[in-house]
Amino acid sequence: MFVAPSMVLMLLFIALPLGSVFVQSFHATQPVYEVVQEQACTPGFLATNCVTETRSRPRRDAAGVPVTTTAFIGLDAYRALLQPEAVARAFNVGGDGVAGLLSIDFYAALRFTLTFTLVTLPLVIGLGLLLALAIDSLAARYRGPLIFVSLLPFIITPVIGALSIRWLFVGDGVLTGVIRAITGSRLSMFAQGWTIELLMLTYRVWHATPFAFVVFYAGLQTVERDTLEAAIVDGASRLQRLRCVVIPHLVPLITFVALIHLMDSYRVFEEIIGFSSQAYRISLQYLTYSLLNPDQTGNRAITRASASSMLTMIGIVVLLVPVVVRTWRAQRGGR
Amino acid sequence: MRRLKFAAVALGLCLPAAAHAACDFQNTVPVKSLTAAFEAWKAVTASMAECGNVRSELDQEFRTKQPAAFAANPALYDIGGVSNGTVVPLLNAGTIRPLDALIGKYGQQLQPNQLIKIDGATMAVAMDVNAQNFIYRSDILQELGIAVPTTWDDVLAAAEKIKASGRVAYPLGATMKPGFDLSLEFVNLFLGYGGSFTRPDNTPSIASDAGLKTLAMLKKLSAYMDPEYLVSESTFVQKQFQQGKIAMSNLWASRAAALDDPKESQVVGKIAMAAAPQAIRGGKSATTLWWDGIVIAKNIPDAQADAAFRVAMQGLGPQTVKAAPGAVVWLIKGYAPGKLAEGVIASANGGAPAYPSNAVMGLVSAVIGDGVADYLTGRKTAEKTLADIDAAYLVKAREQGLLK
Amino acid sequence: MARARGASLAAARRQPPALRLLVGIGVALWAVVATFPLAWTALMSFRVPVDALSSRPLDVLLGPASRAAGAGLSAIDMLAGVAAMVALALLPGWLGARAASRLAPAGLVRIGWILAVLTYALLAGAVLLVALPAAAAALDRLLAPVWLLGHLAEPIVGITLEHYRAVWIEHAFYRNFENSILITLGTVAVSLTVGTLAGYGLARAGGKLSFWLLIAALVFRALPHSVLVTGYVPFFLASRDLLAPFWSAPGLGAFLHMFSAGPPTLYGQPLAVVVVLVSINQPFTIWMMRSFFDNIPRELDEAAQVDGCSHFGAFWRVIMPVMWPGVVTTGLFAFLLAYNDYLVTSLLLDAQSQTMVPAITQFLNRDTRASDQIEAIAAAVSITAPLFLLVMAFQRQIVSGLTQGAVKG
Repeated sequence: MFVAPSMVLMLLFIALPLGSVFVQSFHATQPVYEVVQEQACTPGFLATNCVTETRSRPRRDAAGVPVTTTAFIGLDAYRALLQPEAVARAFNVGGDGVAGLLSIDFYAALRFTLTFTLVTLPLVIGLGLLLALAIDSLAARYRGPLIFVSLLPFIITPVIGALSIRWLFVGDGVLTGVIRAITGSRLSMFAQGWTIELLMLTYRVWHATPFAFVVFYAGLQTVERDTLEAAIVDGASRLQRLRCVVIPHLVPLITFVALIHLMDSYRVFEEIIGFSSQAYRISLQYLTYSLLNPDQTGNRAITRASASSMLTMIGIVVLLVPVVVRTWRAQRGGR
Repeated sequence: MRRLKFAAVALGLCLPAAAHAACDFQNTVPVKSLTAAFEAWKAVTASMAECGNVRSELDQEFRTKQPAAFAANPALYDIGGVSNGTVVPLLNAGTIRPLDALIGKYGQQLQPNQLIKIDGATMAVAMDVNAQNFIYRSDILQELGIAVPTTWDDVLAAAEKIKASGRVAYPLGATMKPGFDLSLEFVNLFLGYGGSFTRPDNTPSIASDAGLKTLAMLKKLSAYMDPEYLVSESTFVQKQFQQGKIAMSNLWASRAAALDDPKESQVVGKIAMAAAPQAIRGGKSATTLWWDGIVIAKNIPDAQADAAFRVAMQGLGPQTVKAAPGAVVWLIKGYAPGKLAEGVIASANGGAPAYPSNAVMGLVSAVIGDGVADYLTGRKTAEKTLADIDAAYLVKAREQGLLK
Repeated sequence: MARARGASLAAARRQPPALRLLVGIGVALWAVVATFPLAWTALMSFRVPVDALSSRPLDVLLGPASRAAGAGLSAIDMLAGVAAMVALALLPGWLGARAASRLAPAGLVRIGWILAVLTYALLAGAVLLVALPAAAAALDRLLAPVWLLGHLAEPIVGITLEHYRAVWIEHAFYRNFENSILITLGTVAVSLTVGTLAGYGLARAGGKLSFWLLIAALVFRALPHSVLVTGYVPFFLASRDLLAPFWSAPGLGAFLHMFSAGPPTLYGQPLAVVVVLVSINQPFTIWMMRSFFDNIPRELDEAAQVDGCSHFGAFWRVIMPVMWPGVVTTGLFAFLLAYNDYLVTSLLLDAQSQTMVPAITQFLNRDTRASDQIEAIAAAVSITAPLFLLVMAFQRQIVSGLTQGAVKG
């Protein structure tokens, strides 16, 4: 009974849209085009250009609404995304292997998303842990302000955070100047893929570390004194205490942070917008978004966008399975 | 002093809005508009606001919102700002209304070449023509003894000289951000080389001789640009000009006024305009002509459409031209073309075609905007890039039902 | 003996000097990295474009062009500013408790505190916006003719409030602010109500069903939001037609007519967005709340039920009072989600009901003049300021809430 409102909300606003996206990925809805002779007059300067030409135009019904047809297309949309023939060609004799694979949008996005997720994960956890240990070891009066400062990159609106970093590096930004002065090169941060990727990774670590830190810090407050003291009496060194008492105590928290970070960084999107990295790097969620976005004349690739969302979802489930299974086993064992 | 002024403004906030001086009538029906955000639209919406009860949303990303917002019932906006590209989805979906009756009532000051007619019915009213044309630093070209380039090969030669002189950081600027900007650069050159994007049966023909030439030219030009050219859109190029970092660019005529604005530009009076260079010597000016104008939503009550159109006519009235004479090449009565209009007029006289606007071109432009960067970054060869663009077009065209 | 042991424990815990140095340097470095981008952005927002976009860091720091444009701060101004800030920061400590008890009507201490906070906010606003500039200007004028001291009264750092004025007054950013507040508070309130109930239910139910529910919630949490928004947009735009049958249905229709004459277009409705944000945030909320409730012994509500409370009564009277730190922490996360959201609000709201974060991209997208860009920066700083205050106020609760158990499983 208590769960009902929450269930209804999740069913209506999460499960239902998800279901409709699933169905859409197998169907194509298209306007019916007719070829017509049309006279169009457009302005030139001081004159009007009128041209009569044959062009394709969507047919409209009596009410003026375009007629559409919906057809079942099976796996066509998935095939258009995954391009199995092109992949086979890339790995056959005469193909260019991985480079060929990565020239297909979907795989390029997958490559970047996975790199992004898996590289930032250990960095965020490691830095968060170090920071928590360091701040925990300081005198109480330093801790308050330091926690406040540390939380800033986390609470700040992601779009604004990304922009604030971009403003430091774009063109003649202040930090680009510093880098140039140090390395003596005329490096432009937004002129090649790897520097942009590096910036995006750095931004995400900057943004996500505070969350890991504050969770670990909270965890450190509940380490049992007695166990620690017993360890000291037993003559355990600092490192041994850390390894045998503190870290095991934090393991559930590390799993928790890893889980949240996996989900959030797999969704990477704001960085692509914030750093305008489309020419060099795209992510899976950006791929969906760009397919959904109407072009100049309003065409949206809804079917492929749906298929790309489904593939994205399969990806995250695969990533999560090991962590979830671990948690599940631990819970089982614990009970 | 500054503090006093600030306080005065804060006080002004508390006072009721001042009388609507420049509007011919007092508008009582709430009217909403969604338009792009460059100078001309700022001027037009400012004039419309004088009539009262007008809320204008200016957004360079309007094209992604407009089709859905006009399809809603009631439509979310009454007035839409469109150009020859962005009017297509509204026309195709039938979400804008014919304006002939309204023009009869309120549109006496309109000139015949302002009306966009499809099969005889007026669907939009234009206010300006715009094109990417050649903007250059007249002082630098003069000093180095370079004649104003008339072909893109001349531009390359001039860029080489300017680079050697070290007068500016980068000789060239261009709107090369993937998506619309990059696709337009490609389209302009491609048409200049005499290419055609599709065959009569809607199958693609971008992978062609003209395509290869276009890619090669873009690559050669990019060598003279800021290495970050792939994030550069119109505003980026405008700032490069203003800060004196570049000497030449094929940029929107509507951006020229800002280059001559002493408040933000360091190169006031050193800017000149010319026809967009030709791709082939003796050929057409390699650019496309655009118009900007207004449409009125269909899914709104007639009384509201009435008020909206009346307000829009104020926006497209002579007082707008008076307030911002140099913002763009106006089509509105009372506009006297100045120095900043020379490039557009020269390009039009040089045979520049109107930008082709239809559903097919929307797909073409999208796949080009996504695909060309792969060649410029060196990820693919020219042939592979063009073949992939054709393939991407086929997928999209089938998905949209334009091809079987 | 015991004391000796204590001493040796303390000795073992104390860090060797080298380690302490390392920790100190590391933490200091982090503090700089964490604050620098934000601080620099804030600095840029107070400079005219020529300074803000300059490639020389000193120009951004000192703002020579902003100073030349006629406005600057002298050493005296800055000293006065620092003094006022320190006084304002210390004030609650000196007088807070006394003011609260004085202001409390008929012994309602909580209301007294609220009144005290409001008074403080008013006072701080008055001091910073009116009294301080006036006093500093008077001081400058007074000291300017004095030999040597006069130099202190000369402006050294350029500053301009022009962009804030443009953002808040010309572009009416306060409307976006109102929308943000409405949507954020709505989301927090509904999210907590629904989530607390569900968390309690799940923690007490156990069993297979609730396990699978939690796993489903986990998968939902992982969904890219663009997937969901894809599903909403067509429905929100066409809701007027789609919902019409409900309004014409017998019985239900009459009930719905009491609220509005016809079905609403959900696109552009802040309340509809609140529901969407609540739903998106539900998985996280119920996970958090469930682990809080897991930490509260079952015996507590059983005891309450024995005392004659209903199931719901037990929940409300006995469990909730113990739960506040957890509620505050979860609420903060809901606040951050709603306040910071870009994707959902930008796609489902129109210009009239737009919140601050998507509105900022409008500033960026209209960015055709250099000053537009600095206005975007000023808007960004304006958005960040409330978050700043929020963390300052609730920082302790975040840590204690998390400590209390939100993160144990």
